[in-house]
Amino acid sequence: MSTIGTKIYARLQGDRTIWLVTMLLAMFSLLAIYSASGSLAYKYKGGDTEFYLMKHIALLIAGFGLMYICFLVDYKRYSKIAPIALVITIPMLIYTLVFGTSINDASRWITIPVVGISFQTSDLAKLALIMYLARAISAKQDYIKDFKSAFLPIIVPVLVVCTLIAPADLSSSMLLFLTSLLLMFIGRVDIKYIGLLVLLGIVAFSFLIILGNFFPEIVRLDTWITRTKDFIVSSDGSYQVQRAKMAIAEGGWLGVGPGNSIHRNFLPSAFADFIYAIIIEEYGLIGGLVVIVLYLTLLFRCVSLVTRSPKAFGAMLALGLCLSLVIQALVNMAVAVHLVPVTGLTLPLMSMGGTSLLFTCVSLGMILSVSKYIEQMSSAEEVKA
Amino acid sequence: MKDLNQNRKAIIQIFFVIGAFVLLARTAQLQLFDSSYKRHETVTGVQEITLYPARGLIYDRNGKLIVYNDALYDIKVTYNQVKDIDTTMLCELLNIDLNTFKKNLHKDFKKDPRFSEWIPYVFLKKLSAESYARFQEHLYKFPGFFAELRIVRGYSEKVGAHILGYVSEVSGKEIEASDGYYSEGDYAGKTGLERKYESSLRGEKGKKYVMKDNMGRIEGSYKNGSKDIAPISGKNLYTTLDIDLQAYAEKLLQNKIGAVVALDPSTGGVLAMASSPTYAPDLLAINRNRSEAFTKLASDSLKPLLNRALNAQYPPGSIFKTVMSLVGLQEGVFAAHRGISCRGAYFYNGRRFGCRNHPEGIHNLAKALQYSCNTFYFQGFRDILEKSGYENADKGLDTLVAHLYRFGLGKPMGIDLAGEESGNVPTSAYYDKVYGKGVWRSPFIISLGIGQGEYLITPVQMANMAAIIANRGHYYIPHIAQHFEGNEDAGLSKYQVRKETNIDPAHFEAVMDGMELAALGGRIEGHVFCGKTGTVQNPFGEDHSAFIAFAPRENPKIAIAVYIENSGYGSRFARPIASLLTEKYLKGDIDRENPQRVWMEKTMLEADLIPK
Repeated sequence: MSTIGTKIYARLQGDRTIWLVTMLLAMFSLLAIYSASGSLAYKYKGGDTEFYLMKHIALLIAGFGLMYICFLVDYKRYSKIAPIALVITIPMLIYTLVFGTSINDASRWITIPVVGISFQTSDLAKLALIMYLARAISAKQDYIKDFKSAFLPIIVPVLVVCTLIAPADLSSSMLLFLTSLLLMFIGRVDIKYIGLLVLLGIVAFSFLIILGNFFPEIVRLDTWITRTKDFIVSSDGSYQVQRAKMAIAEGGWLGVGPGNSIHRNFLPSAFADFIYAIIIEEYGLIGGLVVIVLYLTLLFRCVSLVTRSPKAFGAMLALGLCLSLVIQALVNMAVAVHLVPVTGLTLPLMSMGGTSLLFTCVSLGMILSVSKYIEQMSSAEEVKA
Repeated sequence: MKDLNQNRKAIIQIFFVIGAFVLLARTAQLQLFDSSYKRHETVTGVQEITLYPARGLIYDRNGKLIVYNDALYDIKVTYNQVKDIDTTMLCELLNIDLNTFKKNLHKDFKKDPRFSEWIPYVFLKKLSAESYARFQEHLYKFPGFFAELRIVRGYSEKVGAHILGYVSEVSGKEIEASDGYYSEGDYAGKTGLERKYESSLRGEKGKKYVMKDNMGRIEGSYKNGSKDIAPISGKNLYTTLDIDLQAYAEKLLQNKIGAVVALDPSTGGVLAMASSPTYAPDLLAINRNRSEAFTKLASDSLKPLLNRALNAQYPPGSIFKTVMSLVGLQEGVFAAHRGISCRGAYFYNGRRFGCRNHPEGIHNLAKALQYSCNTFYFQGFRDILEKSGYENADKGLDTLVAHLYRFGLGKPMGIDLAGEESGNVPTSAYYDKVYGKGVWRSPFIISLGIGQGEYLITPVQMANMAAIIANRGHYYIPHIAQHFEGNEDAGLSKYQVRKETNIDPAHFEAVMDGMELAALGGRIEGHVFCGKTGTVQNPFGEDHSAFIAFAPRENPKIAIAVYIENSGYGSRFARPIASLLTEKYLKGDIDRENPQRVWMEKTMLEADLIPK
């Protein structure tokens, strides 16, 4: 085994640390899911606790397959398809908003005809927008401080996409908006313009709230209000949050051990939105620290890619995708410890959940593809030198 | 430029590291410093336990307790704690068979989401206090079993079911309408006083928070009980009822269909209100056989659930002549000494309206009342209607209607029980519709003059008529709640408003003279008893027997109405019953020395008028 492992490792291209982090997160998720899906298994599958584990393993395998494919593709191709993807995405977002399937009361999902797989359009839009932004920012580096030629083409898609996602899925929209801001920040866009964009974002959000009063079935104003109110008014939080806090309190330094969680039986969505609480309960503060460090490592590696090729499309793409993943992870954990209102965002790669896991894997594949190129480039430079 | 770029990256990295640090710090804080989640490491949930307040008690006018709270027990069980129990003994103690035991204990824990092996569920409902006492002695032998107290209503006398009403589990609709007060399984007043004064009687629920471990065991109070709220008991209700009189009224009405209403004329307070057939109030109290009892009562053809005193409306018949007399006197169409000749019938346009069998001749008002002379009132009625001319009967009728409304007729009186009927007082608009405007004349509707025709009156309105005459012109809205303990308002002030009829008090003497004569057959030793019989023609069978009365003539203490369906002359049943009840109220009991009174009581008790 170990020899095969070392062989693979030796032959593995791309950033090895990112590969390692990805593998570790996936393994961690297997342990956590197996433990947390117990109540679900008893509820729907007559106590077949392996069912959800197998399902998750199957999804992970599919995800890693996709990741590998994305890894193999030359990342410059992503630059070419970026504008096309964005153009396709916008009508899809509108379609979702109007005809989308409601899962958990939010019309975020559409089903691909024939294949019958349903997915969240916001996941696709996220990829497309980040790809486009990476392309735009890197292409306009030389005149990036110019308002008309550089800034406008960059912000218009951001505002359009985020506004279209927001009515059904405000948290994803805000997350994407923040990612875009950070990406522009790194991409040397003038701070003044970024401030302006923040202002525009606030205006768009106010506009949405006004719209929400007229189209309550499209804009989920009620949910936003209840969740925020729950967070501000009641110090104990909703039932879910209360249970999550109990689970965390249970954990202590080292946790109660794998598979020994009690609260998984009482905590709704223990296997999805609140998996961090279960991880803390079973693996303690140390386990939580490990997970956080894994995500931070991912971020640091991506930032270092930018350092190595500051103006390149690839570095921007990797950093954008990575920022999106890590912010989502931190927000998810913040929900579990009751630092922010309940959002409905999953913990990337860890939570059980079908297609969004696949999109996460695609993102990671792209990041790895970029890292592979940058590595080759630097070694080529070394050879040249 | 490059420096700035480096800076920006550093800023972002710092930003994320701080974020991660905050997360970890918050996690540690939840574990180390927030005592509410940490102290009980095995706690899996905080459970809210509702504390039920004691429901307000109900007393009669003499301070006798009528309705109190009784204890019933629900036996609950936690399945995974049940071990090695003596099943036979348990069944014997609880008086159930083995099948019931098995059915109640073994739930489908896998498939039925309502039950869990470690959460207590109800094993046996509504165990009486006596049965529980027996079981309690042996309770320690049955691990996993425990009892939960349920408060139910108890009744000191088994009477007054229609007035008192009953309490039962709230429906989904009531829960919705209650603004969050009721939750599933709560009890609330459904009929009678229990319903009318529910918000005062029920009190306020309290709450207790306990923490439970993953096996469902109580670990202790949550946050040291700082969030607990003590329940507030319901307010006690003091009624105007005389429970002894109520019991006697129900006894006299046994095996008859009808109603009795007795009022205190000086306050409008209801002394007794009986409707027959009736049922024992504890039959519908919350106990094990209640739904069965209710189904049986609801399907009974004699409608024992119907409160005939309020919810039945009858043609008044001759008792109405008292009111007609007063209106006639007030309108000046007849004077007290006016005589009207009666030859055994009233003739109009070749038609003959028969009169009762009484001495022929010229009668004044008092005699006409005594003999219940139809001729006198046919003529009187026409005089009232034709006061503005023969053509203007509508004007005359509306004058009469205005008077009747002031007597509390034709609309619900506003008694503090739900579902009161309005009775019926036809107006000129009604006859305009029936006959056409300006077409009809007083002879068309002449039977109204003797309380027949379209008139309908509820027994409580009849009793109120008697109270008005007793008071010489005024009344208070009949009511049962006198006051609540404490400063509870409960909207009782409207029962202290004196209502005037606009009849000159001087006109009452002649009517009282007549009623004194008409009530001679029910004479009560030592008191002047005034009354008026009614024999109401009933196209479906034997006439109804009616009687309204009050006593004594000066400073009246009781006004009463008795209405017995299908029992013939008013003097046959209604008058003796009214007389006995009046004597009972005035003297505490009937005169047992007087063989005539004893015989009268015996006859009434033995009479069986239920159609077979």
